[in-house]
Amino acid sequence: MNIGLYVHIPFCRQKCLYCDFSSFADMDHLQDEYVAALCREITGQGGIFDEYIIDTVFIGGGTPTLLPAKLLVRLLDTLNSKLRIAAEAEVSIEANPGTADYDKLRLLREYGVNRISFGVQSFSSDLLKKLGRIHSPEEAVKAIEFAQKAGFRNVNIDLMYGLPDQTLADLDSSLEQAVSLGIQHLSIYGLKVEEGTPFYKLREKEQLNLPTDDIDEAMYDWINHTAPAKGFNRYEISNYAKPGYECLHNLKYWLYKPYIGVGTAAHSFVNGERRANISQVNQYIKIINQSHSPVEYHESVDEDTAMAEFIFLALRTVAGMSLKAFSNEFKVDFLKKFPSIVENLQARRLVDINEQGIKLTELGMKYGNVVFASFLPD
Amino acid sequence: MKKNNIRNFCIIAHIDHGKSTLADRLLEYTGALSAREMENQVLDQMDLERERGITIKAQAVRLEYTAKDGQTFMLNLIDTPGHVDFTYEVSRSLAACEGALLVVDAAQGIEAQTLANVYLALEHNLEIIPVINKIDLPSADPEKVKHEIEEVIGIDASEAILVSAKTGFGIEEVLEAIVKRVPPPEGKADNQLSALIFDSHFDAYKGVIAYVRVMEGTIRPGMKVRMMATDKKVEVTEVGVFRPSLTNVDVLGPGHVGFLAGSVKNVKDIRVGDTITDADNPILKALPGYRKINPMVYCGLYPVDSAEYDTLRDALEKLQLNDASLIFEPETSVALGFGFRCGFLGLLHMDVIQERLEREYDLTLITTAPSVIYKVYKTDGERIDIDNPSKLPPVTEIDHIEEPFVKATVIVPTDYVGAVMELSQEKRGEFKDMKYLDTTRVMLTYHLPLSEIIYDYFDRLKSSTRGYASLDYELFGYQTSTLVKLDMLLNGDPVDALSVIVHRDKAQSRGRQLAEKLKGIIPQQMFEIPIQAAIGNKVIARETVRAMRKDVLAKCYGGDISRKRKLLEKQKEGKKRMKSVGNVEVPQEAFMAILKID
Repeated sequence: MNIGLYVHIPFCRQKCLYCDFSSFADMDHLQDEYVAALCREITGQGGIFDEYIIDTVFIGGGTPTLLPAKLLVRLLDTLNSKLRIAAEAEVSIEANPGTADYDKLRLLREYGVNRISFGVQSFSSDLLKKLGRIHSPEEAVKAIEFAQKAGFRNVNIDLMYGLPDQTLADLDSSLEQAVSLGIQHLSIYGLKVEEGTPFYKLREKEQLNLPTDDIDEAMYDWINHTAPAKGFNRYEISNYAKPGYECLHNLKYWLYKPYIGVGTAAHSFVNGERRANISQVNQYIKIINQSHSPVEYHESVDEDTAMAEFIFLALRTVAGMSLKAFSNEFKVDFLKKFPSIVENLQARRLVDINEQGIKLTELGMKYGNVVFASFLPD
Repeated sequence: MKKNNIRNFCIIAHIDHGKSTLADRLLEYTGALSAREMENQVLDQMDLERERGITIKAQAVRLEYTAKDGQTFMLNLIDTPGHVDFTYEVSRSLAACEGALLVVDAAQGIEAQTLANVYLALEHNLEIIPVINKIDLPSADPEKVKHEIEEVIGIDASEAILVSAKTGFGIEEVLEAIVKRVPPPEGKADNQLSALIFDSHFDAYKGVIAYVRVMEGTIRPGMKVRMMATDKKVEVTEVGVFRPSLTNVDVLGPGHVGFLAGSVKNVKDIRVGDTITDADNPILKALPGYRKINPMVYCGLYPVDSAEYDTLRDALEKLQLNDASLIFEPETSVALGFGFRCGFLGLLHMDVIQERLEREYDLTLITTAPSVIYKVYKTDGERIDIDNPSKLPPVTEIDHIEEPFVKATVIVPTDYVGAVMELSQEKRGEFKDMKYLDTTRVMLTYHLPLSEIIYDYFDRLKSSTRGYASLDYELFGYQTSTLVKLDMLLNGDPVDALSVIVHRDKAQSRGRQLAEKLKGIIPQQMFEIPIQAAIGNKVIARETVRAMRKDVLAKCYGGDISRKRKLLEKQKEGKKRMKSVGNVEVPQEAFMAILKID
């Protein structure tokens, strides 16, 4: 059986002002110890992987490319030598354009990384500064060119919309710039101002000039008009790819496939159980060195909740949820299980149904949460 | 005990002037309860009463006091509710006494409610003993308060007792004054029985327990008695006194305060103010003052979760066991589904019942805006009473409408007279009188529509006088007013539970305020929601809740599905607290928005 592997690198040079992910800007002195601990966790996971073959790897963060070359090599070496990774596996890494020089990219490629995802967010110099990004648009362009030169044939760019002071024209020129770089994949996320971030505080003080609802919606519409026109087909709410370049690792999340996460704050989903590792770096290192489990959160998902998860994750994809996949998973007929919810959603033109499956309509894509929440158990 | 050694008294005080603390001290001093047994404020038994520092139900307690002259006295303290909603209950408690302690805060002086109750006590010829409490406060000014008592009430305050109930100072003097100044009860044991019911409560084992003051004759177990107003006949199974727990005795004689039980199932058979007499040897004329109490304020109570309807009904029935003034009947609202229209003595009563339902029965309720009873005279000559604005007939069928007016008394420092007059004017008040209590305080009298009082008059009064004003009111009668029904429409459909009856001159501004307020409360939904205020077919105000443009989680990051699911669960939970009205999701606060507009 196949499984995905997620590897978390919690270091950043600087925390972006909107970011609430598990990453730290002041822990660089722990990088050596962290990678050592991470390798120990990976080695310890060897047993679990006996029954699985890893067919996707995703090294995310934080900023994995912030690690110096020797630590990246140590990590990749461990992955390659200790785990059973399929020969054709998709191996992705996240990169910040400000931390990716040609040599490092070349090295990653050599050690089997075949997909790279650049967090660019915007090609507007002003906006990048306002987001607290460490790179310039020029650096982003250069990094992507380096990656291609280093042999990456599967490159993603992350962009954002709904940013403070962002205009539709800014977004359009970022989109244009991105697709002109010969990449294969685009992830375009709407900004969500999360509690605990500097943006949140600014918004509280009414100092965050977010686009109006109208503009935000226009941006969303513009993206979904422009990206496909440029050959990037939407395959998930926020993801677009040239045919055949969908991110296989992320698809595992949406299609309810198992994955294991290693490193701080990494999440796993195996045999219907969700787990998460401890998120503090020094604690993680300590626990691993004591040969204890870094898992701090366990959740056995009950049947009704599992069904809701299965549905809302699959509905994130443009292809939607296969009725057969649902009945295979739960031995229940989807339409018989949720007749009134489905009828209600259909009446509101939020979903389309045919013999194969159920999927969000274009309207449903915009109001995904309304659809998703309706399947949760009471 | 000899009748000459009985004293029946009550305490009249404004809220926070220290009535309950004084009562506690009296209990403690006379040993009715040891200090250890005392939880503060023994007489306020309900949690709610303790928390709010108010008395909702009357209570009674018997104290034994050995006076300085060596004689032992039986003192019956009847604690009265201290709120305008319960004026009738107060009057019945007063009727059971010969004397009253008038407790006035040494720093605050007399307040409107105190005044109303003192007048009631004077009507009943009670001996009034002024007690000036809180003399330990730095701002205490007993001389000024004495002067005020003499000026305003017209009784001699030269012998007013200075007390600090908090520290216990002056308590013995109070007890001595009760013994010396309150007259002993009259009445003869061999006369025909007459006893006044001043309260009741329901006991799961004994049935309804009537709190009584015997005027003439005696009550013993085994006797057959009759309630004169309800004509209910009962065999007395137990009689007893309050010590303060119920303690059985063999007989209650003239002048005694105690209880009787007789397997009465329904609290409505034991009405406050009714007279109990011997069924076999009845008196002919009942004691004066009884009246059937009618609710003044009505509102709809609906369970947020319609599955809780039965629980709500059971809870109301249980509360009614102890509270004959609470009435309710099933009601259906298009917007809110199945619920009850409930009648209350006033806003506090309504508030207390609602809070008890939520707290003691774990219900989540939607309360609709309170309404008074309107008398609607129709063009066909029929008159109907309307307690629910949505039931008002179409304008074309209405000849005219009358609404209840109250006589309101406001006591306020002179600095705020202007503010009170302005407010009362705005609230359609008719000025009646202004009297200086002393050089610093004024008593204003207005006739005001009750609907304005229950809307926001009291809150506005408090805020425009920095809390210095005190208010008392009594129902005064019905008067014709130019009233209209203001409907609120969501997405084009009128929402029955949001309708209000307002004065025509106010309709425009109320409609505009309501629409604005609702706009702030109703969350954005997938479509635009027009909010309209209308009188008949005429829209007088309009707001729009703009459509939510998008609602979707952008990113499912790093496989953390639990977190995303929890966000969705929160969203679903929030939706559960809303009522679907047509296709609009309306939060419960919306139905209360009508209550108050800030």
